[in-house]
Amino acid sequence: MKIFRRLTAALGLFSAMVAGGAFVFVVALTFVVSIFRDVEISAWNVVASQVGPWFLLFIGVYAIHNMMPVAVAHGRTRREFLLAASAFSVVLAVVMTATEWLGFLVEGGIYSLMDWRADEHGAQLSYFLMYLVWIAVGMLCAAAFDRYGGGGLFVLPVALALVVVTRLRMPGSGNLPFVDDTPDLFGSALPAVLVLSFVVALAGTWVIARDMPIRQRTS
Amino acid sequence: MRVEVQGLTVRYGDVTAIDDMSFTLSGNKIYGLLGRNGAGKTSLMSALAGYRKPSGTVQLDGVPVFENAAAMRRVCLVRHSADAADKGDKVSHVLEYGAAWRDTWDNDYALELTELFKIGLRTKVGELSLGQRSALGVVIGLASRSPLTMLDESHLGMDTPTRYAFYDTLLHDFMAHPRTIMISTHLIEELSSLLEEVVIVDAGRLVLQEEADVLRSRGTEVTGNASDVDEFTAGMTVLGEKSLGRTKAAMVYGALEDDQLIRARGLGLELGPIALQDLFVHLTDPVGGKR
Repeated sequence: MKIFRRLTAALGLFSAMVAGGAFVFVVALTFVVSIFRDVEISAWNVVASQVGPWFLLFIGVYAIHNMMPVAVAHGRTRREFLLAASAFSVVLAVVMTATEWLGFLVEGGIYSLMDWRADEHGAQLSYFLMYLVWIAVGMLCAAAFDRYGGGGLFVLPVALALVVVTRLRMPGSGNLPFVDDTPDLFGSALPAVLVLSFVVALAGTWVIARDMPIRQRTS
Repeated sequence: MRVEVQGLTVRYGDVTAIDDMSFTLSGNKIYGLLGRNGAGKTSLMSALAGYRKPSGTVQLDGVPVFENAAAMRRVCLVRHSADAADKGDKVSHVLEYGAAWRDTWDNDYALELTELFKIGLRTKVGELSLGQRSALGVVIGLASRSPLTMLDESHLGMDTPTRYAFYDTLLHDFMAHPRTIMISTHLIEELSSLLEEVVIVDAGRLVLQEEADVLRSRGTEVTGNASDVDEFTAGMTVLGEKSLGRTKAAMVYGALEDDQLIRARGLGLELGPIALQDLFVHLTDPVGGKR
């Protein structure tokens, strides 16, 4: 619980602040764009569906690469840390989904006021599951590279497969590099597949990081 | 805290850092872990702290340490300060981690030490000098008040006054809160007066584990007229010699027999203790290939 509280206090607060800053930035940017052309898309959706997942991937990487060694150095076990980080990933995905929802609400009001048009955005559940998977995949990649060095490259195809699924029905998410027009084969089972992706990424992280050596770092 | 190591082996690929090492530390002493570069000191400490899964057994007070929450709580290893602090963190955050995650953490003492070592609480770890980072490591190690506290090369980059402050602080804290403290260092003479027991490793193997005073008695410094010293030390293992005019000092390895002591007195030679550092050099790089 102590690790969970620390993760939430440090990374949860940081993530919420970054999301708030990003919202203010894109609203300001939208006003600037509106001077030159008509506004036709939701700027917040670009952040929520494209920038957000990459940011959460970074948070997942940071948790394993930076915070796990610190926790072990302060007398905590990897198991304790991974349990806390797993719970934290769910809580952070909830917080970021709530931020995303609030952002759309405020942005909708501004767009109505300014008579701007916005394209469609995804359902809350889709955002939540997308964030969840990207955090877990960040943790998986960090664990693989920290443990195996260059050998961590072998986890990248798995990581890519796990995150591609999150983009299938996410309007405005754009395409990942090298992955274009991915066919949606899952139908109504997609949410279950996304939960499975999260579980696979988390299980992979546990398998790799459970007895990972804490290497000496130079700072 | 009692430390038991049995058949410990640590490998990095093809390199064997620790090779089937076994020893026991009875605890509540200041131990010196001595070894040359690459001897396996950091690997050994890492295994003792549960930083890596041991091949062999590492037990603290009879229980395995690796991924054992109860045992891990009672150990603190500081390899400089890098593991216990992220370079992007402010020093105050590092202390908060200690306060949040260590039940035995003494935050007042941590603040006192940061003041002693002149470490700014608002400074980021990455912006500290090497000596300040080492001092922060000492703060983390001592304020953890862990029953097994290990400081690996904690003097790195410290200037002389700071090192002396570190040694004084270490001794005072040990007297006030006796526990098992293990220190690895290359500055053997500076620390030798603090060490109660010495563990010497070389090429991943245990060379020697002995009380520091007993170890010192393994060698003698013989001082006197150069020709008398030469005559007396003929046939002995001489670790080193120093001359000033007609006076010469020779460091010989091995305890002197009674008849040798009488002969030295007869020649008017002075006999004194040998520096721990000279013994260490001999034990890890033996004169004539014999330890």
